Amino acid sequence: MNDQQTAAPLTYEPVAIEAGLRKIILFEIAFPMVLLLIGIATGLLQVLYRAGIIRSESFLGINYYQGLTLHGTINAIVFTTFFAVAFGHAVIRFYTGKPLLLGAAWTSLVLMTGGTLMAAIPMLTGQASVLYTFYPPLKAHPAFYIGLVLVVVGSWVAFFSWIPVYQRWSRDNPGRKMPMGILGIFATFIVWFIATIPVAIEILFLLIPWSFGWTKSVNVPLARMLFWFFGHPLVYFWLLPAYVMYYTMLPKLAGGKLYSDFAGRFTFLWLIVFSAPIGLHHQYTEPGIDSSWKFVHAIFTMMVAIASLVTAFTLAASMEHGARQRGGKGLFGWWKKLPWVDSERWMFAYLVAGLIIFIPGGITGIINASYSLDLVVHNTAWLPAHFHQTVAGPTFLAFIGGSLLLVSTLTGKEIAFKRLNVWVPWIWTLGIMVFSTGLFVGGIQGEPRRTNMGMSYTNPASPLYQPSWAFAKVVGTIGGVIMFAAMVCYFAVFFATLLRRRTMAGALDLPWSEPYHDENVAAVRTLRPWIVAAVVLLIVAYTMPFLEIARGRYEGSPPYAPDRPVALSR
Amino acid sequence: MSVEIGMEKRIILASAVFVLALTGLIAMSVRSYGIRVPTCLTDVRPFREGRVIQQAPDRYEVHYLARMWAFEPADVAIAPGSTVDFYLSTADVTHGMMIVGTNVNLMAVPGAVNYARVKFDKPGEYLVVCNEYCGTKHHNMAGRIHVSSQAAAAAAAAAATPIPAPEPSPDQALLDQYGCTACHSIDGSAMSAPTFKGLYHSRRTFADGSTAIAEDQYLRDSIEKPDARVVKGFEAMPAIPVPPEDVRRIVEYIETLR
Repeated sequence: MNDQQTAAPLTYEPVAIEAGLRKIILFEIAFPMVLLLIGIATGLLQVLYRAGIIRSESFLGINYYQGLTLHGTINAIVFTTFFAVAFGHAVIRFYTGKPLLLGAAWTSLVLMTGGTLMAAIPMLTGQASVLYTFYPPLKAHPAFYIGLVLVVVGSWVAFFSWIPVYQRWSRDNPGRKMPMGILGIFATFIVWFIATIPVAIEILFLLIPWSFGWTKSVNVPLARMLFWFFGHPLVYFWLLPAYVMYYTMLPKLAGGKLYSDFAGRFTFLWLIVFSAPIGLHHQYTEPGIDSSWKFVHAIFTMMVAIASLVTAFTLAASMEHGARQRGGKGLFGWWKKLPWVDSERWMFAYLVAGLIIFIPGGITGIINASYSLDLVVHNTAWLPAHFHQTVAGPTFLAFIGGSLLLVSTLTGKEIAFKRLNVWVPWIWTLGIMVFSTGLFVGGIQGEPRRTNMGMSYTNPASPLYQPSWAFAKVVGTIGGVIMFAAMVCYFAVFFATLLRRRTMAGALDLPWSEPYHDENVAAVRTLRPWIVAAVVLLIVAYTMPFLEIARGRYEGSPPYAPDRPVALSR
Repeated sequence: MSVEIGMEKRIILASAVFVLALTGLIAMSVRSYGIRVPTCLTDVRPFREGRVIQQAPDRYEVHYLARMWAFEPADVAIAPGSTVDFYLSTADVTHGMMIVGTNVNLMAVPGAVNYARVKFDKPGEYLVVCNEYCGTKHHNMAGRIHVSSQAAAAAAAAAATPIPAPEPSPDQALLDQYGCTACHSIDGSAMSAPTFKGLYHSRRTFADGSTAIAEDQYLRDSIEKPDARVVKGFEAMPAIPVPPEDVRRIVEYIETLR
């Protein structure tokens, strides 16, 4: 398709970036990191409540379910979205070498921060204890919904401001492939944009008018289908920035090159297509949806696994290449040459530990998606075990590692407590493996998720006490405490780095990898056909299920407050 | 220029074959075991009361009504070896219903009815857990299924000689209206809150060790300021706005439940 590929691969230099952009990125990392202190503390409380160590409705004035709402919203919505935007700014700036549209970047920051604060007030005052999935007809204060909308709109503004910057790069570099980092960030935000349209419809047209009392009732089956139309691509929005780091940074950190440029591009484009038409796999046990459409979504979900398997192969091959460059020998002997705990190349540990956690995380994901198998685990403790091995595994470790990396490079400050820092991801890995084991076993035994079990199932004074569930809870709690310990270490490293004196000039410098196989495959050179395929599959996957919901003519539901067993009178 | 992409292509192909094989295995197992994932029922409308119908010695139909924060009926007795059709409806918000030890795992979604069938071969007591967050007392929401010949016979005998089912009095309807009966029974059976039967003029012991006699003023206070004094062994009740006139009627009704 293009003959200009003979040009030498691009190289990248550290960029002395604009002071405004530097402030924006640092704020978008530090602000959610402060909130994450609450998110992590409420996470520790979860395991203590569930194990029956705390046997109470509330602790320190925060109700269990209020704490769970804070834990999910801060960790999985606010922290992830802020990081994705901050990292997106950095990647687009670094790989295009062109200044960004600062007005748009500031607008995005103000919208996201304002939205977060707006949603935080009802959460902290107990007026939005509806969990981060906010299923109606449990109703939160309208400010909670409006705040979430502002966070999403802010992230859209950032995304759309990157497109003209890339187009300028493209005009200056005719015939060049889009740099892998830019492709990854664009894939992230295309998935996010597709995902957030249905949830915006749910919030703007169903939940906000209903929460203000302008409409009397809400169609719950419709709201749930719109939510899960968003809910699964949301997890790829969490995962894709981590994939950007895996494909652009990890090979370099391992001492080598990216094994296959084609495999990376294929993975990002494949995820654009298959991230969204699969939401019904979260709704297998629900009424109102034909089981044959659930099976169609099961098949599409399996397709996602292709990208995961290709990634597993490509990254392993890239690391092997790196290790052999550094003198690694033998079938497995090269493993010893990887910088597992190299305090100078500490980012390798954050990334590779996340990949290791992702192995059981991915396998259990396939189990959950496996249609009939979901009946055994749906809504049990198994589910949080799985998604902690994904979003609290590769995603979280890449994001906290990436946060530290950006702070260090932009401020020109050395990492504080370097030896401790490189062990943080490994302590976290140990913690999450133990924690998940407890929750997997508990889930198989029937333990429900999202439940203050210390008040009933793990309380010997309760008629609901289940002694056979106690062991799994002990295991889960030990894991949770180890995870908390890892985060105490991380916060010490992060804030000490942020607050220490600079030792060099700050610049934006990201580890970037050259391709080992730099294939030139026309099919992965343009985004458009893949976006068209995504839209077509969405139409195929969702037209009939939505028509069924419309034909069901379900009676609407009045709003309920989480602490009252009667509808809120209007 | 084109670099050989043999290896990458083979990996993608191998991944695709693996994934398709897994999908095929799922389809086969669903067919051969006759597993039914909940689907769209169009011929059953949501119901407002739970009940057990025995259609044959080994066939039952159970209508579970999920509500904040109990299943109705709370206790179900089934003869071992029976096949049971479960229908699930909700009176208020979204709930889950898992019968621990079986593959019955349903969600109750407002407006729709869910369904599953299971055969109970092993006698014993099965825990029914609400496994979707349904409000701040979600952790108390559970029921039990007793799979035992004696329990089933006793339940069948009770059903055969029906006590002339009294029309729910207007006062009892009032308790339902404010959700009292989600946690308080009126017949003495144990639920997540103290029963109303025999409550009037009984001595109450509170979490702080103090005691009081349950007379009118105490009952009014307990409805209007539920956190003020909490009975030992129970959780504080959520504050439910009840107009003074209805508070008076509820207290008078509790007085009759000796």
